[in-house]
Amino acid sequence: MPEITVKYEDKVIERIVTEKKRISIGRGNDNDIVLENRGVSRRHAMIEFNDNAAVLIDNESLNGTFVNSRKVSEEVLRDQDVITIGKYALVYNTETTHEGADGANFDGTMVLNTKQQKKMLENDKIERQIVEKYGGSVLLGMENADFAEHRLDRDVSTIGKAKFVHVRAKGFWLSGIQAKIVIEGQVFSIYNLGKQGKLKVNGEPTTQCVLKNGDLISVGKSTFKFVESKS
Amino acid sequence: MKYGLISDIHGNVEALRAVLSDIKRHRVDSIHCLGDVVGYGADPTACLKLVLENCDTKLLGNHEYAALGLQSCDNFNDAAKTSTEWTQQTLDDDWIAVMSDFAVDRPMDDMYLVHASPFEPSEWHYILSATDAINAFEHLKQRIGFFGHSHIPTILREKPEGLPSIQTGHDFTADPEGRYLVNVGSVGQPRDNDPRASYVVFDSEELDIEFHRVEYDIEAAQHKMSEANLPSTLISRLSAGI
Repeated sequence: MPEITVKYEDKVIERIVTEKKRISIGRGNDNDIVLENRGVSRRHAMIEFNDNAAVLIDNESLNGTFVNSRKVSEEVLRDQDVITIGKYALVYNTETTHEGADGANFDGTMVLNTKQQKKMLENDKIERQIVEKYGGSVLLGMENADFAEHRLDRDVSTIGKAKFVHVRAKGFWLSGIQAKIVIEGQVFSIYNLGKQGKLKVNGEPTTQCVLKNGDLISVGKSTFKFVESKS
Repeated sequence: MKYGLISDIHGNVEALRAVLSDIKRHRVDSIHCLGDVVGYGADPTACLKLVLENCDTKLLGNHEYAALGLQSCDNFNDAAKTSTEWTQQTLDDDWIAVMSDFAVDRPMDDMYLVHASPFEPSEWHYILSATDAINAFEHLKQRIGFFGHSHIPTILREKPEGLPSIQTGHDFTADPEGRYLVNVGSVGQPRDNDPRASYVVFDSEELDIEFHRVEYDIEAAQHKMSEANLPSTLISRLSAGI
């Protein structure tokens, strides 16, 4: 069964496993997931479950709903997607996880951090402009990259220290072709090919994973941000 | 310096062992592998191991590229596609990591090594015609380039005017003023109607280029391929050299 983990500042405050076809999220007490905060609209968003798909719908909320740091109005959710509403993070899992809940106490009186909200909106706007300019998903060079923006327009893009790869990375003991990013349908996946431990996604050593918008890909000393186009 | 140049081993360890044994007779200073160690044959891992142990240069070929999942097999025929998938399943992550460190080309003083063509080396263009050769020579910065890919021993010589000449591989001494592209043939799957394994020895001081052919236990290689359920067309072609 699908599970929504509600977090506040990285602490789990609620874990919801549901069989319902639709769950509502908002400040009002009549919602299935109640987020008591002025930055959250009374009926902020909802998630509809249809067969194998879960669709997040924003109810034209004032402060917006984000999935993996991108502002959305309607979005098909994938496993481990992070929904941000105000300072809350709701992690969507397609299956119930087996972790114990932190059981943290949260009194619901915290004030929305508007600086963070503004920054997220600004970044979202800039990144939307970039993917619009390129007409597709891109990598942004964050650290030790020899480009600012790189369009991922090939079925397979190679990353490594060799001169012939599509995305050059820096660092000792990197393989010539350290990793590859593969497009399968609408999904971008990254695979490690070279020496173990040299590819990290969001700080975690990775052998392969599906990329989500905003993921930070580190190859050796170079870091790139994955910005996904949802055309 | 004397160089041994081998290419297109294609998982045929019987042919590779025979070549490495024969090449010692020539007292070469170093051996250089021009790619396609894997693909088609039944022993990709054993061939990679021998290449690592014996070769100074380890170049990527299109079959390594395919085994790494870096190109679609859509342009491969059915037999090539089947053998590529088999190779991908057979090689473990350690050998994938080894191949990921292979270079795509190697300039060495006045010599250049590549699997397919000096023109866009990782696009695997064939040099089969004089027109292909013109393009390749335009991108060759050195005097002599050695390559493989087509499995046919060939000598291409640039002409000051007109089209480059194309000759079947044969022993010759290069003109110090000339520019050449030399296809060293294939160790593990020759396609010039001679089933014997092919390699080249290049003496960079005398500018002597020798093409060598070596007999090997073709039946043993075919038996292993059959045991691995690899496509029959790939098995039968070894004894015909096609």
